[in-house]
Amino acid sequence: MEIDVRRIAKLAMLKLPEEQVEAFEKEFASIVAMVEHLPELESADTLLEPDNQMHLRADEIVPSYPRDAMLQNVPKAIAGCIVVPKTVE
Amino acid sequence: MELYRKTAAELSGLLRKKEVTACEILDDTLARIDAVEPRIDAFLSVTAEAARAKAREVDEKLAKGEAVGALAGIPVGIKDNICTKGLRTTCASKMLENFIPPYNATVVDKLNAADAVIPGKLNLDEFAMGGSCENSYFKPTKNPWDTERVPGGSSGGSAASVAACEVPLSLGSDTGGSVRCPAGLCGVVGLKPTYGAVSRFGLVAFASSLDQIGPFGRTVEDVALLFGAICGADLPHDATSKDYHFPGMDADLKGLRVGIPREYFGSGVSEENKAAVLKAVDMLRDAGAVPVEISLPSTDYALSAYYIISSAEASSNLARYDGVKYGYPGDRKGTLNDLYLSARSEGFGPEVKRRIMLGTYVLSSGYYDAYYKRAKMLQRMIAREFTDAFEKCDVIATPTTPSTAFKLGEKTSDPLEMYASDICTVTVNIAGLPGVSVPCGFDQKGLPIGMQLIGPKFSEAKLLGVAKHYETAVGGFAVKEL
Repeated sequence: MEIDVRRIAKLAMLKLPEEQVEAFEKEFASIVAMVEHLPELESADTLLEPDNQMHLRADEIVPSYPRDAMLQNVPKAIAGCIVVPKTVE
Repeated sequence: MELYRKTAAELSGLLRKKEVTACEILDDTLARIDAVEPRIDAFLSVTAEAARAKAREVDEKLAKGEAVGALAGIPVGIKDNICTKGLRTTCASKMLENFIPPYNATVVDKLNAADAVIPGKLNLDEFAMGGSCENSYFKPTKNPWDTERVPGGSSGGSAASVAACEVPLSLGSDTGGSVRCPAGLCGVVGLKPTYGAVSRFGLVAFASSLDQIGPFGRTVEDVALLFGAICGADLPHDATSKDYHFPGMDADLKGLRVGIPREYFGSGVSEENKAAVLKAVDMLRDAGAVPVEISLPSTDYALSAYYIISSAEASSNLARYDGVKYGYPGDRKGTLNDLYLSARSEGFGPEVKRRIMLGTYVLSSGYYDAYYKRAKMLQRMIAREFTDAFEKCDVIATPTTPSTAFKLGEKTSDPLEMYASDICTVTVNIAGLPGVSVPCGFDQKGLPIGMQLIGPKFSEAKLLGVAKHYETAVGGFAVKEL
């Protein structure tokens, strides 16, 4: 089966250098061949585990983390805002 | 006094009898780390200053006669994908090389509340993706039993640091075997708790429906001690955590039925590993247990289901690393798209990219039903097979890994061979069950072999009780002299 690795890379937001495409295609095909080893299954069951329900927390206002703390790892911040490349002319 | 050789339970006893102080325990730990790290490379950072402050706090409490927590003064190493406020948390990735978390993971808060001392952060495969600890951006960790071999992964630093007596206890995380496999290869005890038994808040997400934080120790008692301190509900933060309290280990083994699933003793597992596990089961039989042959027929498909589900979740979870809010900054001179592409392509290592690509593929339009949906259906089937098996037995015994520790570099060029290392452990995560790996002998090269014990959900008390019985029967587990 042919897999368009360039398209997958684009969807995954990853650069795949042209010189690596052929080798990666081969490797990726072998990984996909491995995970294809699945039985034919038909089921009307839900795919969620019925006895493993999640607890939802109450919808209430609680204090959040301080802005400064949340911005300390931002590569570039000015006046409490995250700086990104210009997207609108 | 060589305190580093002592177990957590022994150190705790000495501390409470005031025969030793928390600062002395820490000094000994740091000296041991200095002495063996050049050979083992288990730590990514040693946090001596913060550890010293905590040790002093414990000593002051004891001097004043105040109550101290269950882990008072005990050094606990932390896998570097578990957030520690103010202490660098890298996930062994270039992407998070300089990331300083603004909050603690819940397990870290619980360790602090239990008065544990955290001497540092431990190496792993990048973002916990790998089975050898060689996918770390910084360095590979070595197996203390043979430093030319891998410690297993992904929690290789957590297992090796305990095996090398750098710390008596450590925390790892297990998505497909990442606590149990390195425990098996390094000859220590490692527990993957039931999904929901331990809060995942602050554990950097790989595959959220499979990830679980688990403890390492050199004895079963120590692992039980650490597990008891970290388990329980964390409802404001982790919707999947359960209100569970560990009651301590079960003591009675009489009439215990030990299931032996034939699918785990097939051609993919070495004869030495199979024989060691069966010999261990014989010892349990001598202690009153009853071996029962069982079958888990879907095991053959488990690796496929695991790599589809975990990679799908990883591709979604790791979408957050875009160079904007934190992490590797990427190229900020071009367009926003250039920033995303450069940050992700330069920040992630090859294995992480492979998994993101696989996850993106199995979730992409036209392939979802063929891969992801089928894998999720298989997940339900595997879980049902375990439920049926536990009608016939109380615990299940299998090898932890298909072979003993392999040489550094031996499998790095073949991802499929590396993926096959998880063959005995992935089903436990897929079904959300607890599993513990205990040392059960050595191969001809003198490398440790692990036995995995699997139980029904929230059966940690029984599981660790059986493990403890086995440990007592063999007269304790060997510790490598370094």
